[in-house]
Amino acid sequence: MKPEALWSLAALAAGLIFLSPVLYTIWMSFLTVDSYYAGTPVLTLDNYRAAFGEFDFLRYLLNSLLVSGVVTLGGLALAVMAAFAFARFTFPGGDFLFAAVVATLMIPSHITLIPNYLTLAKVGLLDSYAGLILPAISNGFAAFFLRQYIRGIPRALDEAAYMDGARPLQVLWRVIVPLARPAILSMGLYIFITEWNNYIWPLVAISDSDLYTLQIGLAKLYRENPGEDVINWPLVMAASTITILPILIGFLAVERHLVRGITMGAVK
Amino acid sequence: MTSRLTPYLLIAPLLAFIAVFTYIPILTSANLSFREWDFLTDAKPWVGTENYRLVLSSSEFWNSVKVTAIFALISVPLRLVLAIAIASYLVREALPQRLLRGALFLPSVTSTVAIAVVFSWLFATDYGVINAALAWFGLPKVYWLQDPQLALWVIILVNTWKQLGYDIVIYIAGLQAISPDLYDAADVDGGKRFHVFRRVTVPLVMPTTYFLLVISVIEAFQVFTVVDVMTRGGPAGATDMVVNLLYRIGFTLFDIGQGSAIAVLLFVLLIALAVFKARVLGRKVHYEA
Repeated sequence: MKPEALWSLAALAAGLIFLSPVLYTIWMSFLTVDSYYAGTPVLTLDNYRAAFGEFDFLRYLLNSLLVSGVVTLGGLALAVMAAFAFARFTFPGGDFLFAAVVATLMIPSHITLIPNYLTLAKVGLLDSYAGLILPAISNGFAAFFLRQYIRGIPRALDEAAYMDGARPLQVLWRVIVPLARPAILSMGLYIFITEWNNYIWPLVAISDSDLYTLQIGLAKLYRENPGEDVINWPLVMAASTITILPILIGFLAVERHLVRGITMGAVK
Repeated sequence: MTSRLTPYLLIAPLLAFIAVFTYIPILTSANLSFREWDFLTDAKPWVGTENYRLVLSSSEFWNSVKVTAIFALISVPLRLVLAIAIASYLVREALPQRLLRGALFLPSVTSTVAIAVVFSWLFATDYGVINAALAWFGLPKVYWLQDPQLALWVIILVNTWKQLGYDIVIYIAGLQAISPDLYDAADVDGGKRFHVFRRVTVPLVMPTTYFLLVISVIEAFQVFTVVDVMTRGGPAGATDMVVNLLYRIGFTLFDIGQGSAIAVLLFVLLIALAVFKARVLGRKVHYEA
């Protein structure tokens, strides 16, 4: 028992040291600028007041929530429907279409950067929420993963529902979706986090600061050193904390699902 | 009740998005890479392979290929060696192992921009923590991100810190798929731990290693965010990755033709790697988490 407890302490210490940059970031975000530079800590909420107030991070936060939320719900809806079709129906061209979906896992996003920018420019959707959301909605990986999962659900359950006169969408919604909930949750978290942390696409698609996501807002704030010769680090750290915290909280709440979603998701 | 159209209707929305935002863009990129266009004019004259000739003869492009290759060559083996060593200690499902696993995994889901900002502060010349620590030992300040000799190492360090936990989790999955008895046996016979690790563990997780190797190389060639936030490719091109160059040519110089040519070249390289992965590794790899 004793060595085990020591092990736990050592592991905890190692974890804290590893995460010290993040932990110190959070601590620093509560210091006044003067006290940070003087080296004698004085605690304050002013950095958060400034970040949420004059530096517009409340808006960026809401933008990030909106964009990631819609991408997640939309992405899941498309993926679940397609996964259901690929798992449960045999139809001409099905294998080919499934291959076309799976092949998107290999395609690096940078090949689509310039064309997607041009497409959205053509239809006037640059600098809009739609422009942030639409290119991120399709998720071939989620479709692939959910199809594998749905194939593991006994077909007898669908058939019983069809016998009772259910239609395909009802079977999907009443039978498949409830049974596939763990997989859907994992994929949802994976999509949400990927979109939350997305940087290059909003960087390309957005120039109106009202539409900045947290990632863009933070990068700009850091680069543009508000006002001073010396960077206002505590303010920048408050903004960083705002950017990290929602994912951090989610991480602590649902680590298991999240680890599964991310490890499965990044495997491509 | 189920018509023959049902499956098509169910997959149509996903396929429509994939067509518009993935497949057609590949063709568009290919097409634009043979044209000269600055985005502002209407005319997009066909120039044949001129863009490729310009890109392949520019020192900026080859510099970015070199920098990205060095980045991959150093950071990928570094990550894998650290990850397999740590994973072999964290493979058991006990509390300390789980805690540490969680801590190590956290950065890989955290915002890359925020991480890059935080490390910019750690490595800042004035008021940075690292230089403050050096000063405490009486050492002179180091210009971490302004010195072409050092900046790429900082980028490698940041990337390793961020990605390590993901590699560890994948390795743990690979190790757990082998046989838990193995590690109990190794525990009993403490003195031969390293021997067991080298002769049993390492060969048995080879499929996982190959898998991580290929996806890490693919990923290394797509690095953008850390560099964009921390150095913007500088100083003097020392950290200029291929995607950072692509972004600069496409979206600050608006040279759509050359930007597309770089995108196509990168695409071909990465698809070749991905096909290699699928063909050679394919079924051999177990990556259940």
